[in-house]
Amino acid sequence: MLKYILKRLGMMALTLFAIVTLAFFVIRWMPGSPFDDPEYSPELVRMLEEKYRLHEPIPVQYFAFLKNIVTEGFWGVSFRIEPTVPVWKVIGERIPVTLGLNFISLLLSLPLGLLAGCCAALYKSKLPDVLISALVILFVSVPSFVAASALQYFLGYRTHLFPIIYRSLGSFPERLHSLLLPVFALSFYPVATLCRYLRGELLENFSEDYLLLARSKGLTRKQVLLRHAFPNALVPLMPVIVPMFTGILSGSLVVERIFGIPGVGGLVTQSIQAQDHFLTISVLFFYALIHLLTVLITDLSYGFIDPRIRLGGGRHA
Amino acid sequence: MRKKLKKNKAARAALGILLFLILIALFGPMMTPYSYREQLTNEAGEYLSDMPPRIPFLKKLGIASGRATLKDRRVDGLSDTEKYPEGSVIRIKNRYTAPSGTEYCDVVVDYYVYKGVGEDVNFWFGTDQMGRDLWTRLWRGTRVSLLIALIAVTADLLIGTLYGAVCGYFGGKTDLILMRFAEIIRSIPNVVICSLFIMLFGTGIKTMILALAVRGWTQTAQLVRAQFLRNKTREYVLASRMMGASDGWLIFRHILPNSLSPLLTGAMMAVPSAIFTESFLAYIGLGIPAPEPSLGTLLSGAWPVLELYPLQTLLPALVISVLLIAFTLFTGGLRDVLDPSEI
Repeated sequence: MLKYILKRLGMMALTLFAIVTLAFFVIRWMPGSPFDDPEYSPELVRMLEEKYRLHEPIPVQYFAFLKNIVTEGFWGVSFRIEPTVPVWKVIGERIPVTLGLNFISLLLSLPLGLLAGCCAALYKSKLPDVLISALVILFVSVPSFVAASALQYFLGYRTHLFPIIYRSLGSFPERLHSLLLPVFALSFYPVATLCRYLRGELLENFSEDYLLLARSKGLTRKQVLLRHAFPNALVPLMPVIVPMFTGILSGSLVVERIFGIPGVGGLVTQSIQAQDHFLTISVLFFYALIHLLTVLITDLSYGFIDPRIRLGGGRHA
Repeated sequence: MRKKLKKNKAARAALGILLFLILIALFGPMMTPYSYREQLTNEAGEYLSDMPPRIPFLKKLGIASGRATLKDRRVDGLSDTEKYPEGSVIRIKNRYTAPSGTEYCDVVVDYYVYKGVGEDVNFWFGTDQMGRDLWTRLWRGTRVSLLIALIAVTADLLIGTLYGAVCGYFGGKTDLILMRFAEIIRSIPNVVICSLFIMLFGTGIKTMILALAVRGWTQTAQLVRAQFLRNKTREYVLASRMMGASDGWLIFRHILPNSLSPLLTGAMMAVPSAIFTESFLAYIGLGIPAPEPSLGTLLSGAWPVLELYPLQTLLPALVISVLLIAFTLFTGGLRDVLDPSEI
């Protein structure tokens, strides 16, 4: 098992290295300079470029960049967004907001999705099931940014129930209140996916012998479903739940923009448009890292959940 | 199979809606005299921006009648025919007196008369901030989005099928190396790969298609590979091989046709996700460049004026939602028909 994890971590490091390298060359080969500003004199631009060593050949820059990361853990400074601030500090300030938003959405989605899934399975083909299934299709299909705009318009502009944009300077309850709409917008898809999977899983379990036995002993459909089938159905859900986090994270790229939340999402386009090279690389690295971590956790969870699945193909895992 | 699909009412309705949307995306832009990029002006040379919709035969019912409410106008200015041409003022609401003593009110006007546009000019869905006809732009945008998705998915299918077939059929070292490569590409998040691509080649329809296809094919490859691994040891393949069939013949004439149905469902699922990704990228500012519309750029362009002109957001939002819902329903029905073993 340990060997497998180490091997996976090694692969992950390689992939991350490839992404950083690719990003570096793509970004440096782009025409233009971060200091293309009509207000800057050519003299100033030259000095700035020399200061950040942007005038050197690209491979030289690349190795200097790598050397800084390996020896000092230094990823460079931001040029335009927050000049001269180290990039990870810029990103670090925004990570809590983004991760907070994502975790709240996930925490809200889990109970709701499970509840809806149970409800749909319990009343299969009856009114609640039909209703929930229709909502599931709606929530799965409608993109998060459309949902976000709709929420913003109807609950924000029209009824003034919620603030239209995130109040980053407000008190804690105020901030939480203004975070609710984005959380809702991000939760639709995960709730629907969870509900769909759980319903399918429960109904599949329902034809198994052990449930038939439980039924024949006189338990009601509801008891059987909740006490026997539900815990079993949770097992294969784990690999569905973990990747949902990546989904929410990329969804929050747009939702953050719509609600003006100062999270990591905005940095992607801002840094690309401002040609803030090192910031772009680091933000892309951040997204890749989270994505790879969730994939790894998902794969590992297969082994924990069902010991029959052997990881890595070793003789004994 | 056709019978079964006929039975599934939801899938049938979804197919109908899809076909309707495709038709209107093809012919909708031709139904108006306006082009998608022309910024329309009135005789005085003012841009006709943010016009409300007007549809001739619905006008009498009070729907899409070309009326708009102008807020906080001076009451004494209403008689100025230079500003409010004759017949433009329809109703006055919410009169109030400001502390300075001036009277203000909200005016419902016939916006077309107000702007000095003739009877024969009708913008069915209104115009956008730049004075471009929204009906034309909406359906052209739908067409562009569908086209991008279709081409990207076709590229996915071609590359992925070939790649997966080679991996699955030959197996061994070829499979190991090729699949490792695909795995690395797969492990890069979509956002990262799309932004890198767009940075490298600049925004544009071609770049968008490439950015969508560059990661999409790995999924198809994996699917086809799994099908090939399962099918290549079957007896019918063995029999054909005994009769001297070549690798190419076996791959394309025997195994591939037997792997078609999961491939078809996979492709059908990829189309809406491509449409979604396209508009997603447009929303974060990496969409196709103006003036070419797509559902994503229409949405992201209308979003800043959501409060004032909700219709400009509502229309593309409705189209993209209906499109994606129809795809979900139809794919669900298709999967039930093609692979009854799955729930």
